[in-house]
Amino acid sequence: MSPDPQLTDALAAIVGRDACLWRPEELFVYECDGLTLHSATPAAVVLPRDAEEVSRVVKACRARGVPFVPRGAGTGLSGGAVALEGGVVIECSRMDAVLELCPEERWARVQPGVVNAHLSDVARPQQLYYAPDPSSQLACTIGGNVAENSGGPHTLKHGTTTNHVLALQLVLPDGDVMRLGSAAGWAPGYDLVGAVVGSEGTLGVVTEATVRLTPLPEAVETLLGIFPDVVTACRAVGAMIRGGLVPAALEIVDRRTIEAVEASVYAAGLPTDAGAVLIVELDGAREAVDQDVHRVKKLCAEDGAARVELARDEAERQRFWRARKGAFGAMGRLAPDLYVHDAVVPRTKLPEVIAEVCAIGDRHGLKLSNVFHAGDGNLHPNISFDRRDEDELARVVKAGEEILRTCVAAGGVITGEHGIGTEKQDYMGLLFDEADLDAMRRLRAAFDPDGVCNPGKIFPTTRFCRESDPKARGYERVPL
Amino acid sequence: MSLEALRGALGADAVQEHPEASLDGVPVPASVRPSDADALAEALRVLSQSDAAAIVRGAGSGLAFGNPPRRADVWLSTEHLSDVDVLDADEGVAHAQAGAPLAELRLRAASVGWDLPIEAPDEAATLGGALARAALGPRVHRFGPPRDHVLGLGVALASGERTRCGGRVVKNVTGYDLAKLHVGGCGTLGVIESAWLRLRPLPETSLLLSAWIDGADAGFRHAARIAELPAVRALALVDPHLAGRVDASGPESGQWLAVVELAGAEPEVKRAREGLGLAGAVEHGPELMARLRGVQCGPPPESGLRFRLVVQPARIVAAAVPLARAGAALLGYPGAGFLFAGFPLHAAADSNLVDSAWRAVREAARAGGGSALLESAPGWAKSAGDVFGEPCEATPLFRALKQQFDPRGTLNPGRFAGGL
Ligand SMILES: Cc1cc2nc3c(=O)[nH]c(=O)nc-3n(C[C@H](O)[C@H](O)[C@H](O)COP(=O)(O)OP(=O)(O)OC[C@H]3O[C@@H](n4cnc5c(N)ncnc54)[C@H](O)[C@@H]3O)c2cc1C
Repeated sequence: MSPDPQLTDALAAIVGRDACLWRPEELFVYECDGLTLHSATPAAVVLPRDAEEVSRVVKACRARGVPFVPRGAGTGLSGGAVALEGGVVIECSRMDAVLELCPEERWARVQPGVVNAHLSDVARPQQLYYAPDPSSQLACTIGGNVAENSGGPHTLKHGTTTNHVLALQLVLPDGDVMRLGSAAGWAPGYDLVGAVVGSEGTLGVVTEATVRLTPLPEAVETLLGIFPDVVTACRAVGAMIRGGLVPAALEIVDRRTIEAVEASVYAAGLPTDAGAVLIVELDGAREAVDQDVHRVKKLCAEDGAARVELARDEAERQRFWRARKGAFGAMGRLAPDLYVHDAVVPRTKLPEVIAEVCAIGDRHGLKLSNVFHAGDGNLHPNISFDRRDEDELARVVKAGEEILRTCVAAGGVITGEHGIGTEKQDYMGLLFDEADLDAMRRLRAAFDPDGVCNPGKIFPTTRFCRESDPKARGYERVPL
Repeated sequence: MSLEALRGALGADAVQEHPEASLDGVPVPASVRPSDADALAEALRVLSQSDAAAIVRGAGSGLAFGNPPRRADVWLSTEHLSDVDVLDADEGVAHAQAGAPLAELRLRAASVGWDLPIEAPDEAATLGGALARAALGPRVHRFGPPRDHVLGLGVALASGERTRCGGRVVKNVTGYDLAKLHVGGCGTLGVIESAWLRLRPLPETSLLLSAWIDGADAGFRHAARIAELPAVRALALVDPHLAGRVDASGPESGQWLAVVELAGAEPEVKRAREGLGLAGAVEHGPELMARLRGVQCGPPPESGLRFRLVVQPARIVAAAVPLARAGAALLGYPGAGFLFAGFPLHAAADSNLVDSAWRAVREAARAGGGSALLESAPGWAKSAGDVFGEPCEATPLFRALKQQFDPRGTLNPGRFAGGL
């Protein structure tokens, strides 16, 4: 599709020629995000530098009836940053300044393109860090984190993004710029910061975020529980939750993942003979951490761990985390494509659900592995496959659906941190009825009555049906 | 409105008339007490169809908060929706209906080893009421605001549709986080009928202490140091006007009372106790916490104004100074940046006093980099301005939301920020 030259001229006049992309070869990388199965080509991509440019871009789009889609680093896993309807992608990577760091009050005001890990790097000399730590933190941006309400291994104790955002500057879908919330943590009126966090870029473009910084803990200890299998490891997680432990992180890595990691650059010396490894991190006051280390060791031993190892030093601790956070990358060794699933169940249901998830993978003859935030009940069944094999692709899709249904039947939900996007919109009905969805539409309508900001996401598409030609909607999708 | 339709839909027992009742001087001539969530939704459907206005209430402990209603036909009470139906000790979550009293929920949770991280100054408050007005108490220091503990909500919309958002699991991004709008939304976008809550483990041990400190400056400086200790669950500073009501051992003139609650692992609490540096600290039983909450509640609305300020914690002294100068009685939760400022009203309808109190409060909020609202006041004193303080940039969005969720103005009309 050749772009409308009037549109690209108008956009280039706002952001500059070098910050406006519209040639097919330039647009190629913007066709999808981390969910490579769903793709669509935008009409153009702009890389604005500040809220004013974003506002003018939005107004230029509106004037021409063109939808627009905010985008961070494109690491999202639910298709959120894809321009479904041929709109303009507003790429935030040039808005990458840490505008203000206030160590006394423990917040930072940043532009949306700041990379998650960079913010912690900047804060660390002040003995502070930014707590939400998605495994993609070396690439993903604060804007994307805000939009997805991203979590990470340390969400268990420290909360997800929504617990760390104090205030936002938002370019509304009509182009107006608005400040929401307050660095003091509360502002009069409805909690619009809370509503915008997790809204998947459908309520406006975040152009600034004031986020809470957390003091570095006095003590940190990391343990590895070596278990015969993933179900036993899940039982140990249940015992810890029941026992009132709140570790900073409680992560499970299964055998297939360990093998992939240990054969990759992320190798950390994880035991390849283990059926599953439970990573337990404890942080806080020295005495409390020491006491909990004992409790964790005891609970793991009682619940079937073959052995428990304590990271000997900071270097070993970092190695464990590099292995955990590099797991998705390492999976690239197993097959050309990786489908990263994301669902949540009550922690008490983990053993039976994980057993069923593995059985689903086996039933469909798929290479399914698990590396997940067990303490939150947040599963990530990962399926390694080759999309060129149509039959396998169909089985991947079918297994995905069965996994979601299993989780919902166990009292869970269909996404814990990756969002709905285009990936799961047609599963919203598993959890919500029309009245629930309609309430969500009311929020949408208050911000974006014309539906021009990242359209076609989150809500089930009445227009969509399994038999329809996905191309007719201007994008390719796998009918789930 | 005619109450017949309500009686017809809910049964005669569910509707009572009381011509003398009022709120902020606006008559509220009847009460509706639905027996369950379906009846609540049905009541709303009838009310909205007959263009009537409902003032939603739980235990009634927080009704002083809000602008005077634009109109009011009935109280719509959640008191019969009081089940605590899930206390999952293995998972650390609970599900309760909106009318469940916080005090009961706290006891029930504790009986299975869990702590309720939601508080209200008056523990007779219902869960629904505490969430709707984003209530908090001294433990806000550790637990933060109530929004952080709500996993999912059942909400009846003004139209009478019953909706759900969120879920029962501790992590969830399935669809918009609508619960954030209802928590602190003061029942103006929907009526909370039930909630899934995340509980916290009960601490191994806890310790409640108080000590006298000379003057505000020393008090806030010391409190800032104490706030750093991870074992602190609650931290309060009470000024000399109010301190005697928390600890009757009596201050010397000008002394502030510091109240510290430590909670956690035995050795951690022990070390924190040693590190407090509070000379002459005295241990107390739970009554002290109850009295502290009582002081936060303040006197009845007729006898004074009570403002709530939220400021940036390191700037809290700057906020306290203009308030003290204006003669306010102060209670602070310094680690979390909260200040409660009371101004007694002596003469009836002294609007000059109200104006000067607001001036001091605004100055204080600015100095502290935060904002303020008038939590409790007699109806006449609310005419001085919006109790939510100065209008903010986002008011047009607030209006659009209200229009979307409650276009007929059925729910608490006029009571919210900007008179919504
Ligand atoms: C290897 C790997 C590991 C991952 N691990 C985790 C994990 O542990 N936890 C987790 O939660 N997620 C994880 N993710 C998912 C992903 O990294 C997160 O969703 C992340 O927050 C996306 O950030 P991004 O900058 O890449 O956003 P994008 O992918 O570019 O966009 C994501 C969404 O945010 C919107 N958006 C982006 N910027 C803005 C803005 N300025 N204003 C408004 N909306 C905006 C987009 O429209 C889109 O809907 C992982 C992904 C990968 C590939």
